[in-house]
Amino acid sequence: MTAAPRPADVPRVRNVLRVFRVSAIVTGVFLLLLCAMMVLRYGFLVDIELNGPYGFLALTPRSRITGVDLSTAILIVHGWLYVVYLGCDFLLWRFVRFSFGRFLFFALGGIVPFLSFYFEFRIPAYVASRLEQAEARTPVGAAA
Amino acid sequence: MIESAGPGFWAVARRPRWIGALLLALAIAAGFSALGQWQLARSVASAPVARADTETPIALTSLTTPGEAVTGAQLGRVVTVEGTLVDHDFVVLSNRLNAGSSGFWLVGHVLADGGGELAVALGWAPTRAQAVAAEDSAKIASPLIGRYLPSEAPDQPDVSKGVQSAASIPALINQWAQFDGSVYGGYVVASTPASGLEAIDSPAPSQEVSLNWLNIFYAAEWAIFAGFAIYLWYRLVKDVVEKEGEPVERRMDA
Repeated sequence: MTAAPRPADVPRVRNVLRVFRVSAIVTGVFLLLLCAMMVLRYGFLVDIELNGPYGFLALTPRSRITGVDLSTAILIVHGWLYVVYLGCDFLLWRFVRFSFGRFLFFALGGIVPFLSFYFEFRIPAYVASRLEQAEARTPVGAAA
Repeated sequence: MIESAGPGFWAVARRPRWIGALLLALAIAAGFSALGQWQLARSVASAPVARADTETPIALTSLTTPGEAVTGAQLGRVVTVEGTLVDHDFVVLSNRLNAGSSGFWLVGHVLADGGGELAVALGWAPTRAQAVAAEDSAKIASPLIGRYLPSEAPDQPDVSKGVQSAASIPALINQWAQFDGSVYGGYVVASTPASGLEAIDSPAPSQEVSLNWLNIFYAAEWAIFAGFAIYLWYRLVKDVVEKEGEPVERRMDA
C-alpha cells in the first residue's frame, strides 16, 4: 500500500535511472574485486600491491607494502561507489514511491555479489511498470 | 480517514508503530554515532607500533633474526644482546651529531651468541683520535643493552669524498676483517658507552600523535548516517501522512 508517483517526478526518474544503471555495474564490479581482495587479505594474508619492489602488480604481506596498496584502495572506492548506488536507490524510492522494504532490498545490490548486475536491468523494468500503473490510474483521480 | 485534510504529522508520529520506528531509528543513530566515536578515537591513535613499549629491553634474538630488514615494530626497540666483541675490528664513522656537536662514532663488530653478526655503536667522541684510542680497551657488557636501529643508507661516494659517516650495514660488513655472511639488518646503539667515549644520544622513537584524516572523514560520514537514520523515520511518517491525505489515494482505498 504505497502512494502513486507524482507526475512531476517522472522526468527525474529517467535521469536517476541512467545514473543508477552505471552505478549498479561499476559497484557490482568493485564488489567482486572487494571479495577477491578480502579472500587474499584474510585468507592468504596478502594485499595487492601496485608498483612496489616486487613488480608492477604483486601480492605482498601488508606490513611490507611500500607501493600503492590496491586492496585498501578497492575497499575505499567500493565504499564511495556504494554511497552513490544508495543515493540512486534513495532517490528512486522517493520519486517512484515504492515501499521502504523494497528500498532496503534494492540496497542489498552493493553487498550481495552479482545481485547488482540483476538489479541493473530488473529495477528499471520495475520502475517502468510502476510508472505505467500510475499513468493508468491518473485519469481516475483527474476525472473526480 | 474521514477528514478531508488527513491526519497531521504528529497524529501519525504518535501511533505506537511510529513511536517504535522512532526508537529503532534512534538506536541505529546511536550505533552509527558509536562507530563515529570509534573512528575518531582511531584518527588520533598513531600507528599501533609507535604506541608499543619500546623501552623495556627484550632479547634481540626474540625480536628478529639475522638477515631480516628492520620493521616498523622493531625500530627503536631497546634490546639485549649476548655476544662477544671481535678484537681489532672497528670502524670509525665521521660527522655523527651528539647533542648538537659533530664528532665520531666507534662501531664495533659483535658475534652474537647463537649466530649472527651485529654492528654496535659503542660510543661517541669529539675527535677521531679519541674514538680510535677507545678501541683497545673497548668491551661490551653481558648482556649488552642498547637501542636497535635500522641500517642507514650508504654514503654517496661523490658527496662524501671518502668520508664515511653513515651507519650502513652493507658498508660495514665490507670493512669487517671477518664476516660469515649472516648479519642483523639493523645496528645497536649501546646504552652505556665503552670507556673513553660518551654515550650516544638515542632517544625513544617519536610517540607523536598524528591525525589520520581518513578516519576523521569516516567519523563525519557516520555522523551524517546517524542524522540520515532520523531523517528516514521522518520521511516514512511523512509518507503515511501524505498518503492518507491524498485525495486520489483515499478514493482508491475507499
